[in-house]
Amino acid sequence: MNHKAVFTAGALALVLTGFGASTHALAGSKSIDLPPDGVQLKPSTLPGYAKAQAICAACHSAEYMQYQPATAPRPYWDAMAKRMQVVFKAPIADEDIPLIVEYLTKTYGNEQPK
Amino acid sequence: MNNDLQTNRLRRRLIAGGASALASAGLGMLSRSAFAQTTGELPFANGKRNLVAYPEKRPLIVLTSRPPQLETPFEVFNDGLITPNDAFFVRYHNAGIPTSIDGDKHVIKIGGNAAGKPYELTLAQLRTEFKSVEMVAVNQCSGNSRGFFSPRVTGGQLANGAMGNARWVGVPLKDVLARAELKNTAREVTFNGLDIALFGGGDFVKSIQVNHAMDGEAMLAYQMNGAEIPLLNGYPVKLIVPGYYGTYWVKHLSEIEVVDSSFEGFWMKPAYRVPDNDCACVEPGTTPAATRPIGRFNVRSFITSMQDGAQLRAGQQAVVRGIAFDGGQGVREVAYSTDAGQSWRGAKLGADMGRYSFREFTFGFTPDKGAHDLRVRAWNRSGQSQPMEALWQPAGYMRNVVESVKVTAV
Repeated sequence: MNHKAVFTAGALALVLTGFGASTHALAGSKSIDLPPDGVQLKPSTLPGYAKAQAICAACHSAEYMQYQPATAPRPYWDAMAKRMQVVFKAPIADEDIPLIVEYLTKTYGNEQPK
Repeated sequence: MNNDLQTNRLRRRLIAGGASALASAGLGMLSRSAFAQTTGELPFANGKRNLVAYPEKRPLIVLTSRPPQLETPFEVFNDGLITPNDAFFVRYHNAGIPTSIDGDKHVIKIGGNAAGKPYELTLAQLRTEFKSVEMVAVNQCSGNSRGFFSPRVTGGQLANGAMGNARWVGVPLKDVLARAELKNTAREVTFNGLDIALFGGGDFVKSIQVNHAMDGEAMLAYQMNGAEIPLLNGYPVKLIVPGYYGTYWVKHLSEIEVVDSSFEGFWMKPAYRVPDNDCACVEPGTTPAATRPIGRFNVRSFITSMQDGAQLRAGQQAVVRGIAFDGGQGVREVAYSTDAGQSWRGAKLGADMGRYSFREFTFGFTPDKGAHDLRVRAWNRSGQSQPMEALWQPAGYMRNVVESVKVTAV
């Protein structure tokens, strides 16, 4: 186990490991491919569904919505949609926000059908 | 390790703490997709999660796919005090994450209106022109454990796995800043990385006070547990802010600015703020009158060797093990209770790996037949500890209640 063999530094956490990096290799490079989204937006007959697919999912995956507590109220979804528009400059037309909020609140929030 | 075994271990730990709820709901089963994906259930409502192996990572709990946010299955914390790189949690804020980085060409720009001599530093220069230091330090997400808040709060619904302890090697931030010859107007230092917001708003930039930046502890790390930092954890260089929540540990660090004013970008204000009072808490469901930027970790402790719902053999001694940590005072004491907090004894502390590290504790427990409620509570060297009842705040940060692990001896 790692922690059995480690150097014990006492109360001081900083430990000098020497000058420079002559023993360090160069950093090299890294490239990765990310897996596909693991969750998709839940289908709905509400018009906000297609809007959310086109607009919300352009930047982020659907776990952001799906994993919220089912108690999340309409003002939360409204604040998030407006944050995306105002803070993150997501290209959301003003008239689409109520449609998206309606879909999110009724699909993931506290207005889900019981 | 063979795949089935690993899957089972992950599943076992994922459902830790919620075994009874899960059993009654019939959840927690495994399923597989074309991506060898498994699922598990975190122990709170709406806690079903996928487990997926992202690049340089073992299967981790996926909080979000895009941008990636990955939680460490809790069983990993019982494997050792150092969290392996391939199990270390991942948290991004914006979708524009770099997927290809040439470390040899990476440049950090140091400037700002309070830097007398702005300059650029290649990673090679960082490695060769400065004294390197090494430190073991915990990184913990501000919202670690948010899913356990009651009443629930919105945001990333994490269990207890958005934390990790690693050995970092790098260069003190103060040495890098000193070369820029700070003016006496310097007030804050801001940090930006290669990740970007796709539409230009809300770039992830963080700031700390200049005195904090110059304290000799904050570090530009280029090595994690003896290896290059995984890309998803900030390759090729990451800001380490020991004892402070992970929000300040900027990944793929590329720009440092020393400024003469208070930086108030979105991720400093209104994001990542806590109630501006001693407990950083408010009455559940209420809004704080004033807030401040989140700062140091509070004290936490966890049993790692035993899961909620575990069955033990009556009359046979079990060695219970766990971890404790705080914001940098260091853990002074861990007490344990086997009767739901009615009586307490001292646990034995393990080796001191530095005051920013996880500290191991152990205690022996020989259970009588029946149900037992195990609790652990740590104190740091300033006498700060953990509340017996959970505190609440609207953003769901800084949970540190005394945890309960219920077991049955038969």
